[in-house]
Amino acid sequence: MSDRPRSALLYFACVTLVTAAGIATAMTFRPAFRHQVLDVLGLADVPQAAPGSFYTARVAPLFETRCNGCHGDKMDRGQLRLDSFALLMRGGKHGAVIAPGRVDGSELFRRITLPESDEQAMPPSGKPPLTKDDIIVIRLWIAAGASGALPVHAIKNAPKPVVEIEIPQSDPVQVHRQRAPLADVVRQLQVRFPGMLEYVSRDSADLEMNASLSGGTFGHAQLREFLPLQDRILRADLSGTAITDGAAPVLAAMTRLEVLRLANTKVAAATMQALAPLKSLRSVTVTGSAVPPAAVVALRQRGIVVYGSDDVR
Amino acid sequence: MSADPQKEVHVQVWDAPVRLFHWAIVILMLVSWLSADQGYMRVHLWSGLTLLALLIFRLVWGLIGSTTARFRDFLHPPRKVLAYLRGLAGANKALFAGHNPAGGLMVVGLIAVLLLQAVTGLFSNDGLRFHGPLALLVSEETSTGITGLHGMIFNVILVLVWLHVVAVGFYLFVKGDNLIFPMLTGKKKRAHVPEGWSIKLAHPLMALLVLMAAAGLVFWLTV
Repeated sequence: MSDRPRSALLYFACVTLVTAAGIATAMTFRPAFRHQVLDVLGLADVPQAAPGSFYTARVAPLFETRCNGCHGDKMDRGQLRLDSFALLMRGGKHGAVIAPGRVDGSELFRRITLPESDEQAMPPSGKPPLTKDDIIVIRLWIAAGASGALPVHAIKNAPKPVVEIEIPQSDPVQVHRQRAPLADVVRQLQVRFPGMLEYVSRDSADLEMNASLSGGTFGHAQLREFLPLQDRILRADLSGTAITDGAAPVLAAMTRLEVLRLANTKVAAATMQALAPLKSLRSVTVTGSAVPPAAVVALRQRGIVVYGSDDVR
Repeated sequence: MSADPQKEVHVQVWDAPVRLFHWAIVILMLVSWLSADQGYMRVHLWSGLTLLALLIFRLVWGLIGSTTARFRDFLHPPRKVLAYLRGLAGANKALFAGHNPAGGLMVVGLIAVLLLQAVTGLFSNDGLRFHGPLALLVSEETSTGITGLHGMIFNVILVLVWLHVVAVGFYLFVKGDNLIFPMLTGKKKRAHVPEGWSIKLAHPLMALLVLMAAAGLVFWLTV
């Protein structure tokens, strides 16, 4: 055997030893690296939290909303991930962040209770902070042993969870698209009858009309002008106008009507009969009209509230 | 009168810009690693920008620099690299004044990976108070994704550096060819250089101009 292969063998043996020693040293002093190596070798301990545990129900959602943006699957700041019980208990670059049973010895708790101005405070300034109740929940969980198996009701004095309600945001483009087909008609009627026709809300294409201020000048002919909008009108106030039962076919064509006010008009039983098929109708006001009590029985049987001068329920 | 014995024994193989580049990269890589590890992100930023300027300089110097600095001097087809590597196990007598075919491949690989690392750093953020100078040009999600890539490339760099050091050790301890000394002094034993070979040095002022232009480009892009 020549000198070169032998010395090459010796050299690579030394390289292997030095590399192994380097990896062992890094595994000793860099916990995150140790976990990475154990993961690769399939030797990592992966504790799981029970589905009904205090951790799963109360602690994990706090991390989800406040911490996982920087300590999750997309970014593991400080090599710390909080998006699973196993990863939380594993800790970060400098080791464990939770000391079960010892609140004061838990780095995570120390960080979340630092003043916001402190550079080490978590979440950092500018990010939504944990509330006092959130911090109490985490404190109680660590003090109780930071277990993934502890049942959700085991910690009796934990603050009640806050239910967050998400309010849907309106989409102006979508609203514009919905209004577009009848926008010209709406605009023309708004010019012709100022203040009488409005959208029910800024994110809706549905309409409400109020002709009550027009009084006797508003009759059947005017009402018929609103027919192109028959599928969009949800509320109509025709109180004090000149309409009679002759308007019944127009009103019956407004199939999505929910609220109809006919106070102080000359409508009578025929109009009530025409309204009966309207599936969305919730209330009708007939105060001061010629509607006899017997004519509204069918409406009431369908659950529609009928307001009348002699017959308020 | 006899010639200078030093001149007889040693011959210049590396110019000053290449040597300064090499050791500056070593220092900047260490600074970048430690500063990121300890959270000194301003230091990390400037270290990364300097690294980027040096890498741009090296790319240009690889086209217009001295003989051994040029890519065409050390970039070889894969067949030749494999033949060279196979020859290492035996008594390979081929001599190279600059990078050998395997070393040339390593240099190009390291430059490419370091360049990628420097560029991804420009778009990265630390999720706290620091973001790279170009991070605001992309969405936060993209920046976060690039930050993950920045972290992964670092591991590739560690592996390449380890390979580089092991290879240099192999030449030193097994083949008896000290590659560290020439990278410090610029000179190599004549016995390790092809017969009759001599370097054609590029003017140092040209290197300075290229470096200033590279630094200016990085400054213009990022500050």
